[in-house]
Amino acid sequence: MNQAVLFLLLLLPQQNDGSRLAGHVPAAALPGVHAIIARATQDSLPTEPLVEKALEGGAKGAAPDLIVTAVGAEEARLRNARDLLRGAGAPGPYGVSEIQSVSLALARGLPDRIVSKVVGAVRDTAPGFALHAVADLSAHGFVQDSSASLIVAALRTGLTGHRLLDVAAAADREVQRGSTRMQALAKVRAILPAIPSQPVPPGAMQGATRPKKSGG
Amino acid sequence: MTHDFDPRIHRALDGELDRTALTPEERTLVERLDAASRALSDFPAAPGGTLTHRVMGIIRRPLQSPVERFRRWLTSPHPVTLSLRPVYSVIVAVLLVALLWRAPETPLLAKHEGVAQFVARFPEAHSVAVVGPFNDWRPEATPLSDDDHDGVWDARVILPAGPHEYMFVVDGERWVADPMAGKYVDDGFGRQNAVMEVRPVRSE
Repeated sequence: MNQAVLFLLLLLPQQNDGSRLAGHVPAAALPGVHAIIARATQDSLPTEPLVEKALEGGAKGAAPDLIVTAVGAEEARLRNARDLLRGAGAPGPYGVSEIQSVSLALARGLPDRIVSKVVGAVRDTAPGFALHAVADLSAHGFVQDSSASLIVAALRTGLTGHRLLDVAAAADREVQRGSTRMQALAKVRAILPAIPSQPVPPGAMQGATRPKKSGG
Repeated sequence: MTHDFDPRIHRALDGELDRTALTPEERTLVERLDAASRALSDFPAAPGGTLTHRVMGIIRRPLQSPVERFRRWLTSPHPVTLSLRPVYSVIVAVLLVALLWRAPETPLLAKHEGVAQFVARFPEAHSVAVVGPFNDWRPEATPLSDDDHDGVWDARVILPAGPHEYMFVVDGERWVADPMAGKYVDDGFGRQNAVMEVRPVRSE
């Protein structure tokens, strides 16, 4: 009896995922995608990013085998993200958004060692903004190790969350003013934590709407 | 049926009293009653009907259906008297204003939510939409608008704070990574998604 209930509970999320995928993802891709989702569920990985990746492939008209490959790559990245969070001693349990933001940082090209360094320096808050501040700097040509060092230094001065994006933006501005990238990082580090914050433009919320998912 | 006739008139009508014994006024009345009696006698008789039934049969209007009666009741004017104390009138007015007044469209945001402003310039486009995991990549879910037809399209979307992948879909078929995003990630399908970091509106 208990096993039957457990089986039904395990089946329920897959049925929800299946109903969201049906009609939006090529039928030929569904068995492969469902197998990956089932494996992720068994390993307590978040399945929502996998469903989204499959829906993305379907919406973009990707071939079935490419969709399965992309969903599989997403699963591998999520697993790696979860392991990096664990390895860095980040306090669990890890939420979907937390694992997903680390996974996205990996997809943006941050190597494991940089992710571990930043996640290890983050205490009591989600590492997403810290990682993406480093990824932003990396995308603008800054050396990854130096970028990570700047963000870790900012964390130690008490800056957290989206304020870390201001640190990356400040370094960018220094480059635009004529500094080399190394000089820019040094200048910003010297003024920590007094980094100007990006103001919210007036009326930014006016007319804003919440997006709807097909399942909701 | 009884009538308060003068007994002399009654007797004259019954032939018991010679009409020459009547006064001219009485004689005139008797002649009128005689004429009326003849007129009623000449009336076409319905088989087996009394006079009352025959007359009512002619003057009776056709019966109306309940629906027709209800329609007539609805469309006919009816006097309505409403007595209200002024204080109640004021309360009713205030309640009506409160119900009908619409607050400015500023949504309430949770602590870890922010507003993503998507802006794109597509002068030749007829429609532009933004897609991402936040709307299951459905082009019909989040259209951008270009109210002044200057080719600049925009939409404001409430999203959880953090990084979000997205693309624009132009005219329902052309998928474009935001050229102004500055941050991109491979999508696994041979293209790139743009990345936007949404800041929480409320500070932590």
